[in-house]
Amino acid sequence: MSEEEAYQTVLATLKEEGIYPYTEDEMQVVKSIERCINCGLCIQHCPVVAAVGLDRFSGPRSIAVELSRSPPEYWTTADVVYLCTGCGTCREVCPKDVDIPEIVNLIRARIFKHRPDLVPKQLHTADAIIVEHGLAFVPWEDPEEKTESRNMRLERLGLRYIPDQVVKGADVLFYPGCQAEERAQEVKESAKIILDHFKVKFTLLEEVNCCGLPATLLGDDETALELALKLKRKVKDLGVKMLVTTCAGCTSNLAHIAERDAWGIPVYHMLEYLVEEIGIAKLSSAFKQSTEEEPLRVTLHDPCHLIKHTSRITMDYAGQILSLIPDVEVTQSFAHDSCCGGGGLVSYHAGDVARAVMKENIAAIEETGATRVVTPCPLCTAQLEDNLFRQGSSVEVDDMTVFIAQRLPQEG
Amino acid sequence: MNLEADVVVIGGGMAGLVAGIRATEEGMKTVLLRKGQSATAYSSGAIDVIGYLPGGTMPLGSPVEGLQGIASMFPLHPYGLLGFTDAEPDTVSKTIVEKVRTAVSWLKATLLSSNIPLFGDIDSNLDAVTVLGTVKPTCMIQETMWPGSLMLDADSVALFAGVRGFPAFNPRMAAQVFLEHQISNRLPPRKVGHHVLDMAPFGNNYNISSIEIARYLDTEDNLSVLAKKLKKHVERIGATHIALPPVLGFNRARENQLALQDLTGAYAFELLSFPPSVPGLRLQRGLETAFVKAGGTLLVGHHAKMDSLKSNIVKEITAVGPKRNLKISTKAAVLATGKFIGGGITGTENGIRESVFDLMTVSESFRIATSTTPQKLTNTIALSHIGHPLFGSGLSIDPQFRPITGEEVHAAKNLYAAGSVLAGYNYPAEKSGLGVAIVTGYMASRNAVDYVKGVSA
Repeated sequence: MSEEEAYQTVLATLKEEGIYPYTEDEMQVVKSIERCINCGLCIQHCPVVAAVGLDRFSGPRSIAVELSRSPPEYWTTADVVYLCTGCGTCREVCPKDVDIPEIVNLIRARIFKHRPDLVPKQLHTADAIIVEHGLAFVPWEDPEEKTESRNMRLERLGLRYIPDQVVKGADVLFYPGCQAEERAQEVKESAKIILDHFKVKFTLLEEVNCCGLPATLLGDDETALELALKLKRKVKDLGVKMLVTTCAGCTSNLAHIAERDAWGIPVYHMLEYLVEEIGIAKLSSAFKQSTEEEPLRVTLHDPCHLIKHTSRITMDYAGQILSLIPDVEVTQSFAHDSCCGGGGLVSYHAGDVARAVMKENIAAIEETGATRVVTPCPLCTAQLEDNLFRQGSSVEVDDMTVFIAQRLPQEG
Repeated sequence: MNLEADVVVIGGGMAGLVAGIRATEEGMKTVLLRKGQSATAYSSGAIDVIGYLPGGTMPLGSPVEGLQGIASMFPLHPYGLLGFTDAEPDTVSKTIVEKVRTAVSWLKATLLSSNIPLFGDIDSNLDAVTVLGTVKPTCMIQETMWPGSLMLDADSVALFAGVRGFPAFNPRMAAQVFLEHQISNRLPPRKVGHHVLDMAPFGNNYNISSIEIARYLDTEDNLSVLAKKLKKHVERIGATHIALPPVLGFNRARENQLALQDLTGAYAFELLSFPPSVPGLRLQRGLETAFVKAGGTLLVGHHAKMDSLKSNIVKEITAVGPKRNLKISTKAAVLATGKFIGGGITGTENGIRESVFDLMTVSESFRIATSTTPQKLTNTIALSHIGHPLFGSGLSIDPQFRPITGEEVHAAKNLYAAGSVLAGYNYPAEKSGLGVAIVTGYMASRNAVDYVKGVSA
């Protein structure tokens, strides 16, 4: 038997036993674990561990050093690996740069491929929706109802309507993401108001499709790639100079796929676009004077996908922008950068864990004495709103894009 | 994306944060980059200044004594470099001690304002008790870790109290080791008890980490539950002191210590523990709070990237975040990236390298180590008083704290270095880690600020 034949024989037995060698790309992530010095700092900072204890969620170190090498049956791994909210705290605190969130995605992808029976069934349901509709949520059946819902939201928030426009060769493509497209439509409308206010030549997509992040998080890499490539084609067709989104998850994921798939254009979150492209000077004269008697007491919540997956500078921008708005007083919550529990699709199948993670945020928000939480992510907004409501709190939540749009003068 | 700064500090451990806070206090626009958590956050929280002279076997009675020894025998030690001034040679020792005293007093005041009071000063080394029951000489500890009169009062009785399911502390073993040590040194206490408490912060009493207990004890109600349980055992053995693992909380450790004394009638204190420990994290957070309060810009999750130095001035540093690169233009930079844990120095089969600027590295004895394999700098005996020269390797600096090149000139006129990225001191053997970090951070910052002010003037 030649060496090559021997190799192939062994390879075949691996498959029989359910062992699948890592690909080149996967190897890079797996190799980052080699740097782990087992110090355990990640366990100390993990918000899920803090919320539910090590017994329920064995923590980032365990995922990195033990579960990434778990036997191919994965049945001991799955219980833990779907409880990670993917917030990225562990990677940020790691002195050795071990890419634990990516390890989680990688393990989930392998479970999805080889042991789909171990994937929580709610995630299968979510996957089916993504595969069928190319969106994270089932779209509105009746377009009129969607319009009605949008109009109601606009009226409630006192926002004007700017008609959708799809133009080739615009400067900016505004990408709302699934949440703002299908559910939190006020976020999409607010972004249009902001872009219009600053006279930006912008366009929307003819038809929005998901950026693929939820598919990645539940392990369906094939669908994620398909969606990413579909989106690339649409972006290329429009020939825009840059992409702006209002969703934190989309920001980090689009930045990733735009680089990986060579889109050749930058991806910005609305906050980054405002500070870097519009500029503080223009912004500072844009906001209208407040008519309120008392200053509004606000606290910020930092979306993980911005601070830990994109850059912490984004929330410095958020602070800078808020400081320009008249009669807004910002008080920092001690848990401002702690995960809202909404990440990693955990809330789909383990609501108790997601709520437990959120508990610290709620307590911290209440402690600030603020009457409003502002956060630049429609998903964090929904998660915060839901949990504050359950707690019977009177604190209101605004997506930051909406908050900004409301404070621009109403024109034309 | 662009930022502007007067001083950029690369690294957010003790040295970097001291440098950052100082620069900010001097009116500099300061940006500090921190990639992961530092070795400071990872530490026991005890602040060593100097415990042994390089190569020495006898513990020093006081850091001052050690500094005087270094002044006369080890001029290239980072502490020794503090003595390179224009003043008379016979004032070297005094200069060094005064500089260390200034930096250490400043740190104490700074941490006090972050609600982390420190105990101790450079005039004596004090004895702290560890979770193993051993006694470790160190310069300063947090007030919550000071054992009080336990080892002074002839009638003291200690209760070592652990938590069921918390594997990092075995009170029975610690009590035994501690008592044997004290008896053999003819020191109090003569009576020691131990107990394991049932606390179950998450409803289970197994597999509990120190952080979970610390978080649990950050609320007043939970602390009074602990106090009630402790009181019974304090009364049972007539304890005057309670030795606890370092879990007294993050935000209210000192308040908790005082409350426990009130509620149990005994003096409670925290033992020193293995990394990563809660007091180390408290130290890190306290310093970060002070930096932000002073007006500094803290950029967490970003590491610095530079092409190797082409000119002899650093004008721009790229901060690399998860998905964004920020260009920071600056007038001066302080490199405080740490050693092997922090990642400032890496050792591979190709040699010992500095990771941001690719500066020249040297061994503990100041031989160029850029292509020396780390193994060559280790001893055959794992644990000895000499330690391993590997830990003394790093950057060689001029008296201004600027890293130097093979030609013995500074690599850049506005680039300063501080903390464990420096060569010439063996912190595990000398017990000088955080002390050198504080003092070099303080001095590198002062020099950077002077440079910026000189350029601006």
